[in-house]
Amino acid sequence: MDKIILGRYLPGDSLIYRLDPRGKFLLTFYFVGIVFLANNIASYAFLLAFVLFAVYLSKINLGFFIKGLKPVFWLILFTVALQLLFTPSNHPIWHWGIFTLSNEGLVIAGYIFMRFILIIFISTLLTLTTTPIEISDSIESILKPLKKVKFPVTQVALMLSIALRFVPLLVDETTKIMDAQRARGVDFGEGGLIKRIKSFVPILIPLFVSSFSIAYDLAIAMESRGYKDGEGRSKYRVLNWSKRDNLTILFMAIVTVILLFLRSY
Amino acid sequence: MSNLKTRDITQLALIAALYVAVTIAPGISAFSYGQVQFRVSEILMLLPFFNHKYSWSLIIGCFISNIFSASLGVADLILGTLATAIACLIITRLPAENKFLWAVPIICAVVNGIIVGAELHFILHLPFWLNFVTVGFGELVVVAIGAVIFYFLMRNKNFSKLIR
Repeated sequence: MDKIILGRYLPGDSLIYRLDPRGKFLLTFYFVGIVFLANNIASYAFLLAFVLFAVYLSKINLGFFIKGLKPVFWLILFTVALQLLFTPSNHPIWHWGIFTLSNEGLVIAGYIFMRFILIIFISTLLTLTTTPIEISDSIESILKPLKKVKFPVTQVALMLSIALRFVPLLVDETTKIMDAQRARGVDFGEGGLIKRIKSFVPILIPLFVSSFSIAYDLAIAMESRGYKDGEGRSKYRVLNWSKRDNLTILFMAIVTVILLFLRSY
Repeated sequence: MSNLKTRDITQLALIAALYVAVTIAPGISAFSYGQVQFRVSEILMLLPFFNHKYSWSLIIGCFISNIFSASLGVADLILGTLATAIACLIITRLPAENKFLWAVPIICAVVNGIIVGAELHFILHLPFWLNFVTVGFGELVVVAIGAVIFYFLMRNKNFSKLIR
């Protein structure tokens, strides 16, 4: 249960933790973008070195990152096997029916594998060092320019943080309801696909009713404390953009230049 | 949207939390992720059909769920949420007649199949049509069963009043 409350966030303190979540969020996307620029062993090795350096700076045990690969283990295996065996080549090492193993296949499989590792490690770094609340705050801040096109940024941000706050409560509620229905003889996770999805109904309805009653109480509590609409509200958590965030951006720019150099090298 | 009352905001937020809770709750989430995904919480994709404002719940719920999931990290965070947003946009354009309820699973399957399929194709070089079929199939099955469930649920006056 504790694991769910925190999402995948791991409490800690290091340079990566102290970076502004907005910067971290955008730079993570930027990194996923530049991963596609890598096209040879040197550039992939350089990016891997960069990610491992970031992991080192975060002071988080590498084991947590490797654990992050577990849920996608089969997807990785499937992808690598597909590239290994189905890459067409004129100089196969081994050939049997529709399967071809070649040098080209090995290289492409290796690159895809590296890309996988890089993207998952950097995403894991973001979610391990940033609380979901920080992510939702940075989303609000990043979406702010959309206010000009009448996009309801403050209301969406409020919904996002209320939702985050109530996820653990509703997970608890879901398990309770499931236990109650089990006591009445409902089987969860058994039988065929259709049966498994249908067993969702006796959970869904009580969950709906209890969410609506929580929402009703919450709305009354908010209004009695003077909530009108999102405009002009002050913030409890204020995001601070500091010098180290600028330096991180500069560092990323240098990484990009080196990558471009290695790419054409 | 600007005329959402406080109660609408809390209600939409709670439904988003419900989506996330069902996605990550132990026991039901068991077959949520992987090559063929059966994310049971996608049943809630039927809600925007009955009441457009629930699109917000679905988009926010999907976004938070993807923070917790690990498959393709931040790529999923943006593209998965985008897929839900586009599906919701199309669903809310459907005429509010009961027969169009059956179009919802197809819309969800096609939109998710294309976007997630393309994502897997570009990042992992997996064949697009294979992704389209595996992603779309999981989505189609869940939302189609959801459509049957909601078809009968909405006949219940109290439940239908709660949603609309």
